[in-house]
Amino acid sequence: MAEATARSDPPSLLEQRLQTLSRVLTTKARIAQTPKQLVWALNKAKLFRYVPAVPEQRRHRVPLLLIFAIMNRPSILDLRPGHSFVEHMIQRGYDVYLLDWGVPGIEDQGLKFDDYALEYLPRAIRKLKATSGVEEFSLLGWCIGAILTTIYAAMRPDDGVRNLLLLTAPLDFSNRQGLTFARWTDSKYFPLEKALAAFGNMPGEMIDYGAKMLKPVDNFIGNYAKLWDIIDDPRAVEAWHAMNTWVTDFIPMAGGAYRQLIDDLYRNNRLMKGQFMIRGERVDLSRIRANLFTVIAEGDHITPPCQSASIMDKVSSKDKELFRVPGGHIGIMAGSAAHRLTWPHIEKWLGARSG
Amino acid sequence: MNGEQSERTMPSDPFAPFRGMRDAYLDAMAKAMVDAVNSEGYAQASGVMLDACLTASAPFREALERSMVHALEQLSLPSRQEVASLAARFTNLELRLDDMDAKLDAFFASQQRSAAAGPAETPQRAPAAAAPASDVQAGATTPPSRGKAAARGKKR
Repeated sequence: MAEATARSDPPSLLEQRLQTLSRVLTTKARIAQTPKQLVWALNKAKLFRYVPAVPEQRRHRVPLLLIFAIMNRPSILDLRPGHSFVEHMIQRGYDVYLLDWGVPGIEDQGLKFDDYALEYLPRAIRKLKATSGVEEFSLLGWCIGAILTTIYAAMRPDDGVRNLLLLTAPLDFSNRQGLTFARWTDSKYFPLEKALAAFGNMPGEMIDYGAKMLKPVDNFIGNYAKLWDIIDDPRAVEAWHAMNTWVTDFIPMAGGAYRQLIDDLYRNNRLMKGQFMIRGERVDLSRIRANLFTVIAEGDHITPPCQSASIMDKVSSKDKELFRVPGGHIGIMAGSAAHRLTWPHIEKWLGARSG
Repeated sequence: MNGEQSERTMPSDPFAPFRGMRDAYLDAMAKAMVDAVNSEGYAQASGVMLDACLTASAPFREALERSMVHALEQLSLPSRQEVASLAARFTNLELRLDDMDAKLDAFFASQQRSAAAGPAETPQRAPAAAAPASDVQAGATTPPSRGKAAARGKKR
């Protein structure tokens, strides 16, 4: 009897678990906590500079600009203290900038890759140069951000891009059998124009639903089963909470850019074929001369490896490296093994090329 | 490790005996579902559903939009399109301001270069957006105008 009362009462343990469950499912975790300053803003876009963590003498000379996708928050790059790519890089002496595209409003439905890559990005880079006092910079693009940085590096090769880092970059759409999104958005089935006429911008919920339907059981059931399994481990729960906060923070994608993504890229693979036109000019990937580091996630179901590898043969860069990491589209940069598997390799490659 | 600690780290889970079975079932389901959503049939079905949904909702959406525009007009309030066009004009203004900002940066940079080339002592170039330390907070932002003004003040 005495032993029974000394132990935790099963109902109260269950109650505790349910409280944890309720908390992480109904509240937002505190993410993106690394201190930063706003240095430039235009429309919804904002350029931030992270407060350096090491003295100027020990810092790398070439600043690093991070560009994430236009339909997700960039806070995934700075997920939580102690597990943040941004924090990792500033602690190793990088001057890190982040371009946050913001949330497009109905007035932005006409925004295209043309505007992001040749209107907003060059202006943000001008400000970065003025702020850092350095003419060269490194550009890291992830997911759709990698498309934008690739376009920019191809169309503005003399603007000072010294290092180009592409993470899980969806650039090659030729392997249609290997791309579930390509099948779903085929012109035979997907009413692109009707959807854009109805919504203006593509709703974040629809994009998120599409991404989750690639692995429906994992995303709609397995993810929550995993939470139940780790519910008594506070550190694991906090990590899950932070990731869930980011995953459930949907933002819409500007209609014009979405049209280009589906029609020019998924349906016609125009970028790889050298037929993609930006502001009347052809995007010629052979004009990319910056040092190139491409990271492929071997288990990526959103951007399968076949989409990112072929850029290596298209560019004129003399210094180029392809790096394969086990993991998924987001996991390679924000998963529990990212600090071991991906970040050190990026840092090592960049460190040797950042002055 | 005392009894209470061991209870916390390895708590009794009434579902534990079923976990292996659950995982095996979820694995099998996951594989089957991935194959299903990867098929032409799923692509076609989801396309048909979306198309039907958009087609069916279009008349209601248009009617709602018309009546909303009418109601806003009666209340002397701007419509969504008018607000959107106003926002677009603001963005154009921002672009012009950004152009001016670029010219100012270039002007100050050239002044500094010419001053550095001459014999006179020149102030050190301050980072363009060196904001006061009080503006720096976790996840906080600094209005660009304040950073800019501070930097320009230093430059002058």
